Amino acid sequence: MLSEIEVRDFRCFAHQRLELHPQMTVLVGRNAQGKTSLLEAACVLLRLQSPRTSVRTDLIRFDSSTLMVEGRWNGVSLRCGMSDSRRRLAIDGTICGKSSDYLERSGLVVWMDHSDMNLLRGTSEHRRRYLDFAASQIEPGYLEALQGYQRALRSRNYILKRDATVQWRQVDAYGQLMAGFHQTLVLHREQLVRALKPKMGEVMSRLSFATEEVGIEYLPACSAEGLMDALTRHRAEEERSRTTYTGAHRDDFALSINGRNAEAFASEGQQRSISIALKIGQARVLDEARSMAPLLLVDDVFGELDPSRRRALLSGLPLGTQSIFTTTHLDWAGELGEGCQIVAVEKGEARAKILKRV
Amino acid sequence: MSLNYPAPIQRLIVQLKSLPGVGPRSAERMALWLLSAGRERGGLLADALRAIETEVVMCEDCGFYNEAGQACLLCSNDKRQRHIVCVVEQAADVLRLERSRAYQGQYHVLGGKLSPLDNVTPEDLRMDSLERRVAELPASEVILALGSDVEGEATANYIADLVRPLGVAVTKLAQGMPAGGGLDHVDELTLHHALQGRRAMS
Repeated sequence: MLSEIEVRDFRCFAHQRLELHPQMTVLVGRNAQGKTSLLEAACVLLRLQSPRTSVRTDLIRFDSSTLMVEGRWNGVSLRCGMSDSRRRLAIDGTICGKSSDYLERSGLVVWMDHSDMNLLRGTSEHRRRYLDFAASQIEPGYLEALQGYQRALRSRNYILKRDATVQWRQVDAYGQLMAGFHQTLVLHREQLVRALKPKMGEVMSRLSFATEEVGIEYLPACSAEGLMDALTRHRAEEERSRTTYTGAHRDDFALSINGRNAEAFASEGQQRSISIALKIGQARVLDEARSMAPLLLVDDVFGELDPSRRRALLSGLPLGTQSIFTTTHLDWAGELGEGCQIVAVEKGEARAKILKRV
Repeated sequence: MSLNYPAPIQRLIVQLKSLPGVGPRSAERMALWLLSAGRERGGLLADALRAIETEVVMCEDCGFYNEAGQACLLCSNDKRQRHIVCVVEQAADVLRLERSRAYQGQYHVLGGKLSPLDNVTPEDLRMDSLERRVAELPASEVILALGSDVEGEATANYIADLVRPLGVAVTKLAQGMPAGGGLDHVDELTLHHALQGRRAMS
């Protein structure tokens, strides 16, 4: 549980401290007041990455060179400071040199926003990013394998493009390296999708009150052990395209509803339900794999759901999940039961005042 | 025009700054310190710099450094085994391995690792001489003692493919538990490697 968060020079906030409710905090305010930035700060604090940007300097407030996010997760105090070139992490006041150690001690995050619809309609990159974000929170070695894979892939593609005649021995040196990382990635992605499937089904049946059957199938571009073979077989292809033919960077997964492709056949409402099921399913898988309830960060989408879906979403969460929502209007606040705190976020100076604490 | 140091000092700062691990501020501090410490201090440094140019040579076989005019202490030592070659990235690694006293074979310093994105190709490293040496010695085993980062691993793969056709065994240093420590100080990735590379108790 994230009991409090403090930010300095983060996006539009010069300095802001916020206590969070153990169950639910709703950040309410007009557009462009900084609601999402607070949500983003929580994600950066716990996972050291933002779902909105991969450019660190985007997060730092104008006219400032470093940002700081601090907070308390399950009694452990976490601190993350960033400048354009450096990152400094601390746990309980002691500097933590390796980000993997930090991530191991910090919390789990599920992020929901409008772009979740891209999981159905967007390119496979959105779906891979979804798998990567979830799997790296479950498996400590996953992120390292992913970074190693991407680094080796960049080098391999570079060598393929560099010379007039391809230097296959150099290409293969990186291919073999990729094959090792590829195996790790594929096995964990496979495991993750297998765990997701029943969880999504449960969430879906709550959301649709009907017997719609949602399916998810992992589509690896190449079998876990077979990367080196596949690459050797497609030399001619690679010589022509000058880029790595197959591997974990071409993976995808397919979603279906009642046995039919969800992108083409699901209605707007069904697609929305499936995207929610993917995220709530992720929360449940994380909870089960790590025996720790995740923090659910929901940007905007919650207020736009119909009341029955809102109830279904909340009831589908693992026990003890803490959530932070942002919204522009509180028409639906009447539905909120006990165990909720509403905070108004106003103007870049962002004075968060507590409206109601039940 | 803004005020700056006289040109000779600026040149010195530029030279110092180009050294690894030295930033503009450290370079400036060193230059000013050399000026204030007197002529003889700077002279000593200049002498030492000149000496490494004239009095040090790199052994054409192993790539380690020797005083000019003397035989290589590693390659000409009869007591060292001639059928094993240990490949390392840089000369400092030779000394590290020597201090462990666990190795009595030949060395081969590559002078870096493959990194296409930094424009380091096999031609920039001492790969040809490795191939030649393995055949000439002749060696029966090549030990790859390279880093376990992406570039180090890729370099190891490359060399393995390069020398395997010569009929030698190619081995790699083990990865795993540090000596004399408990599990509590080992990170997951190392532990993962250590588990995979476990050995039967004899």
